[in-house]
Amino acid sequence: MSVDASPRSPLASSVATAHRIGVLVRHNIRWRLRDPGQVISYIVLPMIIMLVFKPIYVRAFDTGSMSGILHAVTGPLVMFSVFTLTIVGNSILLEREWRTWDRLRTSSASITELLLGKVVPVFAILLVQQLVLLVYGCLVIGLPFPRSAGLVVLAVVVWVFTLIAIGAAMATILRSHSELGLVSDLGAITLSAVGGALVPVAIMPGWAQVVAHFSPGYWALTMLQAAVRGDALAAFGPALVLLGIGFAAGGFAVWRMARGWGRSDLL
Amino acid sequence: MLEAIELTKRYGSVQALDGFSLRVDAGEIVGLVGHNGAGKTTFIEMAAGLVRPDTGTMRIDGAEAGRARNRIGIAPQHIALYRWTTVREHLELFGGLAGMGRAELSTAIDELVAALRLGEFIDRRAGFLSGGQQRRTQAAAALIHRPAVLLLDEPTAGADPQTREALLDVVKQRAGEGAAVIYTTHYLPELADLQATIAVARSGRIIARGTTAELLDGLPGEVCVSFGDEEIRTTTTDPTTTLIELLNRADRPVKAIDLRNPSLDDLYRSLAVTDVR
Repeated sequence: MSVDASPRSPLASSVATAHRIGVLVRHNIRWRLRDPGQVISYIVLPMIIMLVFKPIYVRAFDTGSMSGILHAVTGPLVMFSVFTLTIVGNSILLEREWRTWDRLRTSSASITELLLGKVVPVFAILLVQQLVLLVYGCLVIGLPFPRSAGLVVLAVVVWVFTLIAIGAAMATILRSHSELGLVSDLGAITLSAVGGALVPVAIMPGWAQVVAHFSPGYWALTMLQAAVRGDALAAFGPALVLLGIGFAAGGFAVWRMARGWGRSDLL
Repeated sequence: MLEAIELTKRYGSVQALDGFSLRVDAGEIVGLVGHNGAGKTTFIEMAAGLVRPDTGTMRIDGAEAGRARNRIGIAPQHIALYRWTTVREHLELFGGLAGMGRAELSTAIDELVAALRLGEFIDRRAGFLSGGQQRRTQAAAALIHRPAVLLLDEPTAGADPQTREALLDVVKQRAGEGAAVIYTTHYLPELADLQATIAVARSGRIIARGTTAELLDGLPGEVCVSFGDEEIRTTTTDPTTTLIELLNRADRPVKAIDLRNPSLDDLYRSLAVTDVR
């Protein structure tokens, strides 16, 4: 009487997996579209900041206005992309709060499918945010169009992956939305400031220039600026560092989420 | 069919399950009763594949519990719904995850709308539903793919009589079609309505199992004969015979008789009352 749980052929199994992921992606997209406030604000706010701070950054760089414009675009982009950790974190935290994650775990979907269904829409949203801001930077702020659009997209993908992994890891250990808000707001300001998103690292004090290397924001900024310049070699090292952070945080998040929170002290 | 053999599970200092064994055949409804902390919810979570036993085995239709999730439908004790998702979308989500196609889903949703009276709020978001409507939504999500094993953990807690009646009817119908049903509740009359066999849990194990009649056999009932100014009240394992004896001995007109056979409540009290974990 029940629906067949285990399609026999590998093809049927793949089709069933794709079907379940599709169902989850559709569900999560619908959810995100019904709560678009954060995404909109994280797109509009950096646009305003880019516009207002452009003259300051242009003057801050002696070497020419192009470095200033590059920083005027990539600085707010990195800072507000760190803010989007709350989008990732909230979407996972709510699943815990509403007890829906455990409900999903009782379905036929594997943990991998559940995570893909959850991450793909958020990934797409963050990707769109970053690309919209870069296009805005080119059209409105005066950033030259990148020599290699593919390299920029690749860099954005690496950064979005890292952000999602960190956000997911945070959501599995934080206990409430206020904790998440505190950590992501403070973290965003600290990481982006230390990483050079607000003030270029070159004009920071010596000790701050050393500390900057411990911020993912620093590596994101370095990678994105190199990608916009079309310098693949300079983007490669930071991309490796970010991927390392992403895989470590993502691995931790998957480990935590696979266990569920049924008897956890969290929440 | 669900079969649990000697399950144990410990959370820190708490022994949640301690040799829990239970078998539920296809078409059978088992009412799982016991005080809070008796192990009912841990057992349900284990059957749903959410929790792994420390020792023991849990099989569903012969497969390990975690590998047979499409064969189970669960309505957890706590409400687990997406606040911004409508009832219909919940059913599409869980039906879709069970592999149901569009046409099959549509038919199943129509059926549940009628059976559980979801029509008036089927397109309303779960966050705007009453407690009873949320309960019905949760039950519908458990039933949507016609699972072989139904795990219903206090599905009517806090629900109105209309919700309770609708849900019990559907559970009986699904059992009639061959589903094995585990139904935990503190409202024991529901189990009589369901004609369920009873399993009593205490301290992480099943301490009594059988039909209502089997379990009530030997439990004392109560007989009360009132003469207006005086009342004779006695507990007895054979209320009918005791009543006849009392009436034969009566030397005054009897004003009122109250005969109470042992009930599931008495059984529950006698077997589970000492569980204070």
